[in-house]
Amino acid sequence: MSGVPQSDRIQRLDRHALVMAVWLPAAFLATAVFHHGFGPGGAWWVAGGFGVLLAGFGAHVIVNAVLGTDFSAREVALALFAFALATLAIIFSVLLTPGFAARFFWPAALGMMALAGAAILYMVIRNGPRAAFARFDIIRDNNPRRASRLPHRGGRA
Amino acid sequence: MTLSLVAALGLMAACALYLAALTARAGAGLVDGGADLPGWAAMFAGAGVMVAGVGLADHLALVARFGLQAAHPAMGLVLAAMAGLIVQKRLWIAARLAGLASPGEALGRYYGSVTLRIAMLTLAILFALPWSAHLLSGTAQAVEAATGGAVARAPAVWVLAFFLFLPAVIGGWRATVLFLAMQAVLLAMLIVALAALAEGTLATPGFLDAGIPVAEGILRDMIPGVIQNSAGIGKQTAQGGIFSAMAIISTALVFTGVALSPGMLYLAQTTAAGRSKGFGAVWLVAGLGGGLMLVLLPFLAARLPFLPEALGAVEPLAAVGFTFLLVTAGQLAAGFFTTSGTLIVTREVILPFIVPGLSPRGQRLAARIALALAYAALATLAAFAPRFSAVFGGLALPFAVQLLPALIGLCFIRWISRAAVIAGLVFGLLLVTFTEPLGLILFEGLFLDLPWGRWPLTIHSAAWGLAFNLGVVLLASVFTARGAGRAHRDRLHDEFAARWALPESRPNARTALWSLTLIWAFFAMGPGAILGNSFFSRPVFTEAETALGLPSLWVWQILFWLIGCALVWWLAHRAHLGQTSSDPLRRIDFRDPAQVPGPARAPDWIAAGLARVTQRAR
Repeated sequence: MSGVPQSDRIQRLDRHALVMAVWLPAAFLATAVFHHGFGPGGAWWVAGGFGVLLAGFGAHVIVNAVLGTDFSAREVALALFAFALATLAIIFSVLLTPGFAARFFWPAALGMMALAGAAILYMVIRNGPRAAFARFDIIRDNNPRRASRLPHRGGRA
Repeated sequence: MTLSLVAALGLMAACALYLAALTARAGAGLVDGGADLPGWAAMFAGAGVMVAGVGLADHLALVARFGLQAAHPAMGLVLAAMAGLIVQKRLWIAARLAGLASPGEALGRYYGSVTLRIAMLTLAILFALPWSAHLLSGTAQAVEAATGGAVARAPAVWVLAFFLFLPAVIGGWRATVLFLAMQAVLLAMLIVALAALAEGTLATPGFLDAGIPVAEGILRDMIPGVIQNSAGIGKQTAQGGIFSAMAIISTALVFTGVALSPGMLYLAQTTAAGRSKGFGAVWLVAGLGGGLMLVLLPFLAARLPFLPEALGAVEPLAAVGFTFLLVTAGQLAAGFFTTSGTLIVTREVILPFIVPGLSPRGQRLAARIALALAYAALATLAAFAPRFSAVFGGLALPFAVQLLPALIGLCFIRWISRAAVIAGLVFGLLLVTFTEPLGLILFEGLFLDLPWGRWPLTIHSAAWGLAFNLGVVLLASVFTARGAGRAHRDRLHDEFAARWALPESRPNARTALWSLTLIWAFFAMGPGAILGNSFFSRPVFTEAETALGLPSLWVWQILFWLIGCALVWWLAHRAHLGQTSSDPLRRIDFRDPAQVPGPARAPDWIAAGLARVTQRAR
């Protein structure tokens, strides 16, 4: 941290605060809507909760576009962790809670798929299909021959 | 309820702490945030303070009690956006041109007046302590009510104040503004979500079905006349409600008081260059803020007495959300005014006069000690002297409105002189004091009963003060315009005219803008607003009655709010008052010629007092 110029540190701080300002209200609202949805509210409220999360994601993308930045490694890690946790929670609820699957399987599954789809769509639009796929293509990293880096062979810089 | 509320408040406190720690690590200036606060944060924090600064809970209670007539003064947000645009850009430029880094320094050095500096400091303290304590006390009361007494008012005050203190003392001005911006977004979301949830889920009739239930004799969706011959609150009851058209336009000035408060001016001075001022004024203050208060708050007010219980029956977290809304609004305003006021006092008094010549590290320590003392005083006042805070704090907003002539002089009108401004200010402050509880209580307690009460003729104290203030300023300026100090003031205005002149290409457009603004003010919230009582339900020149299904006054308010937003847009973008440039500025030497050159030093009496304490400590 000490090697980073102060102006860069402050810019990062400002962006981080803006991202927090986006996610804090979205998370609060989504929590309330999910709480109602998985209680007496029903499927449409669950869908509404996912809608709020998608709106938060959209606002985060707008922040990135306006500031000319991308998701930081920590943000991606946090998002993946939360996504995995939510997936596990849904799976366990389906398996262990009687009646959950009948009421909430489809809205929850479709919501999770919508979140994943939004992230993939963002990556494809921002990076193009090849570069978006390359982010997950760890097999190629096991073969770091010089020729594999040539642009006409789809190599990475 | 109690556990969820405490968890939500704890989460906010954790966010504040985290942000403050990051800010401290980034090394932004503690006192001024490096004077380049991000535009987005200034926009959101400023808009949030505009909405919360007048006391959102009080405003909501007034709307629930008096109906749409009490919601109408929220049109003042449009007026405040205009006032902010008019003043803040030039003040920002003055700060960069002449090194006028705080509002008190700007007025003091421009007019060459220590009196104005002291007036600004007093105002900053009024906002920082009694007014903020009043808001914090109300917030703690909401927590006590929501938790059924499980969290008592006084401990709630201390805890809330402590969690406001943390970001300020760790991260300083930048962390405070960033956190407030976050709270402002949360505030907007909560108002929208709660209004939608109440209308969407509650079975009982709401605002659109049954209107706002008010006591008998009060006109719930009409303005009770242009003006009322009433001696004032506490002396005589106004017929049909206190919000006549004159009450509305004069109460709307209070929002301008927030825009002209020392804290908001300091925020404007310490923001980075860019288009944020214009964007914030148009879309957030006038647009979003005005929309929330004029369009959505009536939905909450219509169900207010039973709203938390009704929401709690549908979704417990929604009831928490309502209390959280009131707490966020109170914390937002109290945190902003207290931190900004303390930092202004630190910058203008403590660092140059009480402990001059400190190293940067010593300056940070001094600011932190000042913040600790200020927040301790705030919590003490809010916990143990709520009535005192309400009486003294009630002066803050109308007093701030009295700065308008001085600021207009600094920004645009060079012939407004120091003598005129001070004379006007004295008259303005006296008029405000004697039309507010403090003056009435003191005078009637010491001498004899006055024939008027609070806000006589249903005109708010801010307007009484401003009318006399402006009159005296204009009259005195006739005689003093070319007196001593004119050449000094001209230096700043010459620089404004040379490089920062308003666009001259279309003078007719400028005339049209000001004419339209006056016409808008007349119909939106002045005497012309009375037409809104029946304009859309029984149109003039017809005998017919239209089945609108909505209160005519509400439609009138929404229509003129939208027109007002368009006017603010014109002011911000066409008149170029909404943007500042980061192009290098030519610094001008703006010291008062009468001022003794040399480094600042503590006055002898302060130095002697300090020496006595420090030597004794050794």
